[in-house]
Amino acid sequence: MSDATTDMSGGKSAPAAHGSLLSESPLMKKRNAAEARFKMYGLLAIVIGLVFLIFLVVSILRNGLPAFTQTVVNVEFTLTQEQFDEAESKMLKTAAYTEYFVNDVTQTLQQRGLDVDFDGDTIERVMGKVGGDLRTFYRENPDQIGQPVEFELSAASRVDRYLQGQLTRDMVVDGRFLEVADLDLVDALAEAGIIGSAFDWNFITGTDTGVDNPGGAGIGASVIGSFFMMMVVLLLSLPIGVAASIYLEEFAPKNRWTDLIEVNISNLAAVPSIVFGILGLAVFIQFAHLPQSAPLVGGLVLTLMTLPTIVISTRASLKSVPPSIRDAALGVGASKMQSVFHHVLPLAMPGILTGTIIGLAQALGETAPLLLIGMVGYVAREYPDGLVSGLLDPNSAMPAQIYTWAARSDEAFFEKAWGGIIILMIFLLTMNIIAIILRRKFERRW
Amino acid sequence: MSNTLILLVILGLGVLGFFAGRARAMATAEGDRRNLHSLPNYYGANTALNAVVPAAVALAVWLIVQPFIINNSVSDMIDQGAIAEGSSLGLIMSDVRRVAEGLDVAVAQGAMTEQDASDMQTGFTDVRERLAEVGVALGSGVSAETLLAAQRYREMAWTGNWLKTFAVIAIAVGGLVLTWRVITRDYRARNVVEKGVLTVLILAASIAILTTVGIVLSLIFNTYEFFKLYPAADFFFGLNWSPSFSGRGQSSQLGILPLLWGTLYISFIALVVAVPIGLFAAIYLSEYASKSVRAVAKPMLEVLAGIPTIVYGLFALLTVGPLLVDVFGEGGMLGVNWMSGGTAVMTAGLVMGMMLIPFVSSLSDDIINAVPQAMRDGSLGLGATHSETVRQVIIPAALPGIVGAILLAASRAIGETMIVVLGAGAAARLSLNPFDAMTTVTAKIVSQLTGDSDFSSPVALVAFALGISLFVVTLGLNVFALYIVRKYREQYE
Amino acid sequence: MKDMIPVDRKMSTMQDSKISARGVQVYYGETHAIKDVSVEIADNTVTAFIGPSGCGKSTFLRCLNRMNDTIDSARVSGDILIDGEDIYDPRVDPVQLRAKVGMVFQKPNPFPKSIYDNVAYGPKIHGLARNKADLDEIVEKSLRKAALWEEAKDRLDKPGTGLSGGQQQRLCIARAIATAPEVLLMDEPCSALDPIATAQVEELIDELRQSYSVVIVTHSMQQAARVSQKTAFFHLGNLVEYDDTDKIFTNPQDPRTESYISGRIG
Repeated sequence: MSDATTDMSGGKSAPAAHGSLLSESPLMKKRNAAEARFKMYGLLAIVIGLVFLIFLVVSILRNGLPAFTQTVVNVEFTLTQEQFDEAESKMLKTAAYTEYFVNDVTQTLQQRGLDVDFDGDTIERVMGKVGGDLRTFYRENPDQIGQPVEFELSAASRVDRYLQGQLTRDMVVDGRFLEVADLDLVDALAEAGIIGSAFDWNFITGTDTGVDNPGGAGIGASVIGSFFMMMVVLLLSLPIGVAASIYLEEFAPKNRWTDLIEVNISNLAAVPSIVFGILGLAVFIQFAHLPQSAPLVGGLVLTLMTLPTIVISTRASLKSVPPSIRDAALGVGASKMQSVFHHVLPLAMPGILTGTIIGLAQALGETAPLLLIGMVGYVAREYPDGLVSGLLDPNSAMPAQIYTWAARSDEAFFEKAWGGIIILMIFLLTMNIIAIILRRKFERRW
Repeated sequence: MSNTLILLVILGLGVLGFFAGRARAMATAEGDRRNLHSLPNYYGANTALNAVVPAAVALAVWLIVQPFIINNSVSDMIDQGAIAEGSSLGLIMSDVRRVAEGLDVAVAQGAMTEQDASDMQTGFTDVRERLAEVGVALGSGVSAETLLAAQRYREMAWTGNWLKTFAVIAIAVGGLVLTWRVITRDYRARNVVEKGVLTVLILAASIAILTTVGIVLSLIFNTYEFFKLYPAADFFFGLNWSPSFSGRGQSSQLGILPLLWGTLYISFIALVVAVPIGLFAAIYLSEYASKSVRAVAKPMLEVLAGIPTIVYGLFALLTVGPLLVDVFGEGGMLGVNWMSGGTAVMTAGLVMGMMLIPFVSSLSDDIINAVPQAMRDGSLGLGATHSETVRQVIIPAALPGIVGAILLAASRAIGETMIVVLGAGAAARLSLNPFDAMTTVTAKIVSQLTGDSDFSSPVALVAFALGISLFVVTLGLNVFALYIVRKYREQYE
Repeated sequence: MKDMIPVDRKMSTMQDSKISARGVQVYYGETHAIKDVSVEIADNTVTAFIGPSGCGKSTFLRCLNRMNDTIDSARVSGDILIDGEDIYDPRVDPVQLRAKVGMVFQKPNPFPKSIYDNVAYGPKIHGLARNKADLDEIVEKSLRKAALWEEAKDRLDKPGTGLSGGQQQRLCIARAIATAPEVLLMDEPCSALDPIATAQVEELIDELRQSYSVVIVTHSMQQAARVSQKTAFFHLGNLVEYDDTDKIFTNPQDPRTESYISGRIG
């Protein structure tokens, strides 16, 4: 203690004179300014994050919503029996129908004082193969001949974008798809009120189209593909994930093997998804000869990818069940296995389901591995016709379909891609809301 | 018999076993269940499991092994010397399988008798045409050798299938009978069943290891094939990436360095965006924000983490890219003309940074919260301001954990695929300009393996070598980061 | 201890009061934790707060340097004056206050930094040192005062968390002294220490009285008797009795104090 004592003489004067507490010293002013600045940075970071989020959401909605509407031309058209007979006797039957249609539209426009010069090709560029459609309709419904029929014809996607102002006259390059002169007709139709917009059911129920028909492309088939994949993921990853978690949390002895499993699971959770795609390609397709592009394979790959997530969340829910429950069950003579399956597991179930739904949502949005196993968008050309075909026939999935559209050079597909994102996000949002409700409803505080 | 049918038979035997086992147990207990060691259902379950599980395992093993045996024995028939230029044994074998399947279809549709199919000879019949009739399209004519091999293939498959059916069902019946016979009133059925269940649990847990083994094996195997065709040194140290699809990709230059450079550059920009924002957000949320602000802002930020990467990719390609061109491109707001196209390192990096913000912030938030309150009290009690406490006490105390979080974010960035596929461009180049388009390891894996890949050309196989490099780098980062974070947690537990 | 001045307890009570609290009330949400406490604390004195667990003695201590501000639900009313200035005045910066009123906590809480940096932390943030030499001097002086210099001088760059429990607590005291406070608050500083370390810290407290007004919260009546000149007994949020330590322990006025001292409540 001697050193402490000898120092005391000097110690007496040690306390520096503190100024009044009521006035702020210059140093304190500086320090408080630094404090305010620091807090500002934090707030700024949060605000930047939220601005990013808002920016993202706004650009999705602004670009994607137009995908759900399409421009339609409503034309009342009457075909007489003579015209029908005359057209059917010609060499170029559909051209004859187009001719009638052109005349009809010209008349309608002239009635309203609009004079535009256009021909069958213009009509085809603006609203597709009208002649063929008309012929098919009248051949199937001969009783409609001679009566006025209201036709709703969908306009080409470029016309769509022209009317929305995304495409201007000076951007149009004359070509196979659209000529500048065609826009005169479009303007006239718009002025006559014949052209309007309608909800595009085809976008939701349709399948992918070739690169030259962006207007007809729909996401329906790939939604089904995603659905079958999610079924596979759910049926495999939930039981396997729960079984693995029960073992690791309740039974596993502390040894090298369990350590190895633990390390593996936490690392697999962080392995890039594309590596799982490589695994799927090499093991399921190259080695096991499962069919390419099949939702079954996609489901298997996504299962392996989702398992670590599910195991981690399931273990957390098992851990949150207090040991007293286990002791109580063991105390009345239940075996360890019975105590787990009869008591612990039911209590942990809400947490497990929540984790599973979140894992599924994650799998639903995954793209990269699907591209490697061939589930690219352009294979989603038709609906599967049953369970087996749904699992094994080539199909795509929502995110892969979006990717395919985004990667096409025709800008008209970009709108479809944004629209696809809205649909994907609706699914994800629904799943997350279900998870939140489950958690709220069954959350138990021990 | 089809596999589904076999499976149904086994399951049927299982159900039968359940009731038989249960009945026998009750019989030995003279109808009084209290005389039994376990509940009667356990005896049933035990019998059912012993009937179903071994048989199902046998079926699975058989399904994996049989194609191997047949493949090997059939490929022996094919003369190695007869393999044409530009083809390979693998291609011929897939022709053989296609023809064999075609014959099966033809027989099933009644277009051919079984006899026809096995005796058909190329000299007399145009196999391609006959198969086309039943809807099986073949790319080229069928050589005599292929047809012979295909017929042999069918023959062996037929024999194999019958053997399989017989063996599997025999195992099921055997399991059932043997178990049924040992049932007495004192037989500890529950313990046996529980042991069985435990085995199932262990197997489920081991899938994680199987997955890792699968990843490693598939990467190593294919990478080995690649290095047989392309020198490893050129791959690891090559400065050029220009795959050539002509001449089976022999003239390609496949150096990983430009891809690695792109990957690291983009990840670096992403971290430069995500780390300060994420860290400050975490500090604000855990140290300053009121409860209500936290309750709103934290989940909102985490929404960013739940958005699929394809969305970010599209956002980069169609929104951020054009926006950056408007600012930095020709005739842009700054008038600098640094950027020629929307896809660039900067585009992908910025968007990826956005995606990583919640990743950094929620991990750091956890870690900052784990710093004991005593540290804060100690510092505040000395008259430190809140920010001084955070900067000089909390952050240093949490540093290992935060470093771990940043490493995990880096590994995420390196492995991220969709954002770079859509936002970074496709050109591999070694450039310092962040407004240039570059490409990454992941983007090239996608482009080399999408579509119909021919697994015998270096242009496709290189993807596996890229994959293994990616796997090793991210795995190393993850293991190291998880180790740091775990050590850190232990320190304050 | 050869040149220690013998303590005259009578004299210390006559000194000016450093801290005076009047009608202090503290609420934690709905709980009324401190009920109308008034107390005068003298300079160059060790004042002990004793009482059973949950009686509010620590809460009251934390009011004296506004550490309760860090707890969202805590509300304080009444006046606490230090050197005649109301520390709850809106113009008062709690940060500045805490530099003047240092605190040592129940559990030793050295920062995960070197011993030197632990002690230098306060002087650095308050700008007490003009240069490195100044800082070195402050660190050495503080460590000497905390009687840790001899043990620590060869390992100043080693982490403070590597010290033993008693050493860590003395490091925390040194850290508090280094900011040159006028009042030193100690919240059960020995409760996590073994008897030998406790004895060292108690000895230290007695010496610190020379320069500071020390307020110590303690569980142990023996400790209060050993180190303090004044003792306040708290019970259920009330200040029951406050007097010279000798008097409290030999001739308590209040029956509750007597019961506590004789071990019947608490």
